[in-house]
Amino acid sequence: MKTYLGELEELVLLTIAALGEEAYGVSIQQDLEERCNRSISIGALHSTITRLEEKGFLKSWLGGATQERGGRSKRFYEITQAGKKAVVEAKSVRDELWSLSKIKLSVK
Amino acid sequence: MTQPPKLARKIFEWFAGAAFVEDLLGDLDELYFIHVKTKSAFVAKWLYWKAVLSLIFSYALKKRKAKRAVSMYASSLSAGLLRNYFKVAVRSLYQHKYFTMLNAFGLAVGMSVSLLLLSLISYVQTYDNFHANRHNIYTITSERTEGVEQLSWALAPHVLTDKLKENPNVKDVVRINSYFRETVKLPQGLIPLNGYYVEPNFLDVFTYEVTQGNAKYTLSQPNQIIITETAAQKIFNATDVVGKTLNLTNGHLVEIGAVMKDRPINSHFKFELLASLSSLPQPQASVSDQWMYFDFQYLYVLLEQTASASDFQSYLDKISVETYAKLPVKVAFELQHLNDIALGPDLRMAIGPKWEASGMIVFAIICTMILLPACFNYTNISIARALKRAKEIGLRKTLGGVKYQIFFQFITETVVITFIAFIGALVMFYFMRTEFQKMLVASNSLDLSLTVRMAFYFLLFALGTGLVAGVFPALYFGGLNPIQALKNKAHKGSSAMRVRKVLTVFQFVLSFGFILSLVVFSKQYKYSLNFNFGFTKENIVNVELQGTQPQLVKNEFSKLASVQSMAMSSQVMGLGYYNTWIKDSEEDSTEVAHMYVDENYIPMFGLTLLAGTNFQEEAGLTEKFIIVNEEFVKEYKIPAPIDAIGKTYKVEGTELQVIGVVKNFHYAPLRYPIKKFFFRNNPKKFTYAHLKVNTTDAFAMFTDFENQWKKLSPEQKLDASFFEDDLNEGYSNYVVLLKMVGFLGLLAITISILGLLGMVVYTAETKAREVSIRKVFGASVLNLNYLLSKEYLKLMVWAVGIGAPVTAYLIYLVLPRMQYYSTTVSVWDVLISIVILLALGIVTVWSQTNKAALANPADTLRSE
Repeated sequence: MKTYLGELEELVLLTIAALGEEAYGVSIQQDLEERCNRSISIGALHSTITRLEEKGFLKSWLGGATQERGGRSKRFYEITQAGKKAVVEAKSVRDELWSLSKIKLSVK
Repeated sequence: MTQPPKLARKIFEWFAGAAFVEDLLGDLDELYFIHVKTKSAFVAKWLYWKAVLSLIFSYALKKRKAKRAVSMYASSLSAGLLRNYFKVAVRSLYQHKYFTMLNAFGLAVGMSVSLLLLSLISYVQTYDNFHANRHNIYTITSERTEGVEQLSWALAPHVLTDKLKENPNVKDVVRINSYFRETVKLPQGLIPLNGYYVEPNFLDVFTYEVTQGNAKYTLSQPNQIIITETAAQKIFNATDVVGKTLNLTNGHLVEIGAVMKDRPINSHFKFELLASLSSLPQPQASVSDQWMYFDFQYLYVLLEQTASASDFQSYLDKISVETYAKLPVKVAFELQHLNDIALGPDLRMAIGPKWEASGMIVFAIICTMILLPACFNYTNISIARALKRAKEIGLRKTLGGVKYQIFFQFITETVVITFIAFIGALVMFYFMRTEFQKMLVASNSLDLSLTVRMAFYFLLFALGTGLVAGVFPALYFGGLNPIQALKNKAHKGSSAMRVRKVLTVFQFVLSFGFILSLVVFSKQYKYSLNFNFGFTKENIVNVELQGTQPQLVKNEFSKLASVQSMAMSSQVMGLGYYNTWIKDSEEDSTEVAHMYVDENYIPMFGLTLLAGTNFQEEAGLTEKFIIVNEEFVKEYKIPAPIDAIGKTYKVEGTELQVIGVVKNFHYAPLRYPIKKFFFRNNPKKFTYAHLKVNTTDAFAMFTDFENQWKKLSPEQKLDASFFEDDLNEGYSNYVVLLKMVGFLGLLAITISILGLLGMVVYTAETKAREVSIRKVFGASVLNLNYLLSKEYLKLMVWAVGIGAPVTAYLIYLVLPRMQYYSTTVSVWDVLISIVILLALGIVTVWSQTNKAALANPADTLRSE
């Protein structure tokens, strides 16, 4: 079954991929805000992550408790093989559309 | 340094409940400290609140909560867990052997009757499945309205055929007339043959295998028949009989044109031969009469694959409206699929074996009434024993067992016990099967050996029974509060107690009904046997003439010393009767029962002449006189019997004169009321000789009879029996009924006794300490017995109080419907039944309470 990948989902996936070993709730939120200028609530972020986990694009584990978290562990995320496939597919669709576009797409 | 708002965190934690949120709380704290660095503490706190709210309403939290609703280690039912349930179930059943046995036996008894029903349904569903065209064959049934009388028939007028053929969806129309009931004259005697008149296309539409001869040609020729192999064997002792002719008693000769394999017994057709429809004379009635009167006529249509039944039905409706618009009789036709015929709605004059839906429903109700109490017993005993299991359940719950797992565990236990019971039920089914088949009318169209379909039904049924019996206890156990369960306080359910009481009372009401029916029906049977029929039935032997000359029989048998006198008649009185139509002087026709007798009949059977004279000897070859009964006189509004003498009535075209009036007697079985009746005198119609005998050695007498008979008709066997036996035989259906009620009653009573036993054993067990303490303080055994059993005695009294009036009234309503001349329910019958029920109950209860009361208190109290 082909799973639909939303725009925010794609962004979150890519951000997690970019963050590598250090992808957890707060870091993902901060990165999204800085890089993409997207300010989303922590609730919305975790909902998106939960959905991605259900689709099998993410896996997670616990660890890395720090002082400023009140000694609570972080949940780290990593993109799965299926997740990689999904983003690559999304990218290839876009590339194809770019190459096919009849009007010249450029910003002056 | 400021801290994140505690209240917000608490709210979040409370809302999250058991869900895992450690990482989320960490994220919240981390964000707070990031914010505090750049913003004021107030803004940071505000943002924390906002984040908490966003999480509370997020999909993420909802999902995490759902996940934690079940324990971490049991998010699904694993195979290992199932194995564990099974093991625990078997162990617990093994540990409580006594209760397991009670439960399993009760359920087995309850299920056995249902297995009969299931096997019956499963077999009837295979009816007519051997026809290749079965999916597109329909029959046409009719709902006939004449005046206020509206009846449904399996028949349809043959004149409908042409109209049916006009419809393009109709591939073929098969006409059947079921009135082939002839007798074949053979050297070894008379053999009855039944069959259908059909056309050649019968064999196109229905699938039957013809082994010899040209079947199609046979069915197109008048007076030619196709015979089945069994019938051929019966007549000729051979199957290659094509070309032979049969001599029928009606004077016709028919030729056998082909032989076919026997029809499979699972069919709604039943015939020994097929005759060509062209053998029947062309109908003489007017066309409108043919539309209105169509006895023995059946229609089957073969529709196109693509045809829709509902469209065809509306076509039929249209025909019916057009045709019957101007006729006094209205008939509505209805299309019925071949599969629905055998197990369909009640129709009159079905062409062959049929399992009426109403009968099936009654049977199903009886099965449910037997099965449900057995399930109740299980429920009752299980809940009553909750105390024993409460600790186990409490522990399971504390260790993370969730409601549905406990539920599943107990369902497993019930299913295990149901399957044990099912094996028991199967054993009973095997023993009951033959007896059951004997009781059914159409039993020779039934084969109850185990098939795959049946096995499938059985398994499904066993599983279903387990679920029904187990669902209530399982829910109850699943819902136990673990803390209370561990503290031994679980057993406080007063509503469960009330349900149990109601169930027990219901069972005993049912048992009471069976006992009372048994008492009353056996009374009815005795009543019928000892009934004064108004004629002598002692010392009379009936001999069937079987075609021999009455006069010769008379000569031969009167030579015997044991025969005192002799009479001739057309039938055996009191077993059945025949009707004919007579017209009075005003030409009004009425239906009247009649019978042919000779002049010795009335004195020999002890009938009293109220007026007029008996028939005279040598009345001559033409019929002239009749003797009527009292009822006849009354119905024709003749003031006194003497006034009836000399009146004439037209019977079958002949004027006959009344010469005598006899006192009313039961010419028909007791099921029917005495109506108008007359004796007539025509030696040609005699088929029975009645011998008044006087002997002490019946065996020697019958040997004499046989010797005399051999002189008369050496090829045929003597058919003679005592009149009294014949009469009693006519009421043997009561024996079947008594057997059935007795058997079902036995089952119902067994089940309720088992239930009671279980409850009493449980009470005695739980109250063992109380009993011991009381005993130490001086309570007598009788006192203790009363203490333990009073609750159950109260239930029995309730059951009798409800059961006695209800069942007595029901039986009171049923009796006259079964038999016109019937006994009634008396107070004594009810009292006897009450005594039987109470005796059974008290013996059961006291067998257990007495044991508890006699126990040595030291044994029970030692552990304290």
